[in-house]
Amino acid sequence: MKHGRFHPLMALRFLRKTLAVYLLPLINILFERNWPALRDALMQDLFIFALLCAVSWVILHVSSWSLDEENTFCLHWKLFVALDREIRGSALAGLTLERPLLFRLCGASRLVLYPIGQPKKGTLSLCLRQDNAQELADRLFPIEKPVLHTPHSGEKVALVLLGANGVSTLALIALALRQTRGLPWDPQTAAFSHLNSLAAFAARWLPAGTAWLLVLAGAFWSTSLLRSFAQTLRYTVWRTEDQLGSRGGWLNRYEFRVRRSQLSFADVRLSPGARLLHRWPVFVTAGCCCPELPFFVYRSGEEAMFAELLPEFRMPPEILPDTRKRSLLFFAPAGVPFAFFLLLVLVSRYTLPALTPLLLIPAMVFLVLLSGGYMGYRQEGIWPQDGLLTLRRQERLSLHCICILHPDLCLKAMQSPWAVQARRLSLTITLPGQVRLKVRSIPEADAEQCFNP
Amino acid sequence: MTEQELRRTALIIPPRGRTVLCVWLAVPGLLAAPFAFWQSLAAGLIFCLLWCTLVGLLYARMCSFAAVLGQQSLTVYAGVSLPTRQVVPRRAVTSVYQLRTPLMRLAGVSLLVVSTPGGRLWLPAVPAAQAGLLAHILAEDRP
Repeated sequence: MKHGRFHPLMALRFLRKTLAVYLLPLINILFERNWPALRDALMQDLFIFALLCAVSWVILHVSSWSLDEENTFCLHWKLFVALDREIRGSALAGLTLERPLLFRLCGASRLVLYPIGQPKKGTLSLCLRQDNAQELADRLFPIEKPVLHTPHSGEKVALVLLGANGVSTLALIALALRQTRGLPWDPQTAAFSHLNSLAAFAARWLPAGTAWLLVLAGAFWSTSLLRSFAQTLRYTVWRTEDQLGSRGGWLNRYEFRVRRSQLSFADVRLSPGARLLHRWPVFVTAGCCCPELPFFVYRSGEEAMFAELLPEFRMPPEILPDTRKRSLLFFAPAGVPFAFFLLLVLVSRYTLPALTPLLLIPAMVFLVLLSGGYMGYRQEGIWPQDGLLTLRRQERLSLHCICILHPDLCLKAMQSPWAVQARRLSLTITLPGQVRLKVRSIPEADAEQCFNP
Repeated sequence: MTEQELRRTALIIPPRGRTVLCVWLAVPGLLAAPFAFWQSLAAGLIFCLLWCTLVGLLYARMCSFAAVLGQQSLTVYAGVSLPTRQVVPRRAVTSVYQLRTPLMRLAGVSLLVVSTPGGRLWLPAVPAAQAGLLAHILAEDRP
């Protein structure tokens, strides 16, 4: 039997949830508006912080965990009431082990356990000492005789996407600088000089402001891609008799292990970047364990590795579904904002010409997304194959080629009066962990094959 | 009644069951109506009209409700203009709840909630005897 306590970083979660409490003493400043009131409020905040730290200390000392010889994990709480939550190792669909930079510096790991069939709120997120977390992961999901692979395709895809994003952000910066050039650097004076003409003020500042907002969005996206790139470094995947797993990352370490018998589905995402580089990311989901990182990325010609890691996977057949009387719903998510921005472009052409090039950018973005909608209209569908359901569904610009591997799936078909007339329906597949997949406007005959496999 | 007999027939909501469901839906409307009438007589009348329409729509939808027990699955059909069809594999059922309020007992119906790892399936106000048997069969199927 192994016992242990949680890492002090576990208290961070509690402290984060109580951040709003610090605002309460500050409300008084809104009425008083003087320095003594601010000093009093800060003193009260300091007192609240000390109190919450004490509560965190108590929480850390009354809660603990244990793991017995039969690999039953147990959470204990002993204050006023004794509360134990037990989970058998065999009742877990998967686990993730995360070590962000802060956690690595503090010698901690975040271990998330995903019980079979439970939704996201039923997962257990624990902050443990690094060695304890590793030992728990190895006991609950032992890696026996693994078949190891170290694919490098993920790094290349992430690097290329990062490069493309860097170039586009630089272009946006150049555009923003161009818009900003010639603006007075004293906004207050400029504002007052234009107060009698608000429209002129907007005409002067709005284009530059919008341009810098776009730069900011690009920079955030760059940061996200940089993080993805850092996570794809030193990547290893493995398969054993009963589990699949992967680990990798440079600054932030990430590892996940899932039980093969609990795999809900595997998803090959055909994104524009993947099509361009001929490298295909594969995501796996077990219960509600849906890692944001791909399980592995393979390139064309490496199908043998794919077949070795996921032998049960079947790609949807290379046939295009019948699009007669198909719903135009696919075009709505991008079509509506595209029409809106197109209207704005036309209006700005006469009222605010300086803003037109900037408004063209979101209009173009939605036009590209509209092409994604067309791809879904042409290709989305569901086909049973070898006793498994395979489906293609579109999400933004990506086409998801999915093979459902779990036998316990619930189906829900919904029809509008127009769909009844066109003999089409939308099918929602609900998998363990309340993970839902929706295929839109498919023929009734195709759905019938799913209902009666 | 046996499983074979249950599989040969469909579970529908009897008129008494539909009345119970309409009463359930009418109660929040009755509670909220005084506040609508407080604003003005017109507002109250419009609210009552809307709520009555809602109750009528529920009654109409429940008329088309049918649950069919198959060899491997339980299928629920509902709706005519907005039809839905839900299929739950029998082996995926994790638990079955059966609820009977005094009003339901009076009407001889039960509310059945079938839980699966993917979600819940509600069978409102189905005849109590059939609901009991269905719950028993689904519970026996549990792995």
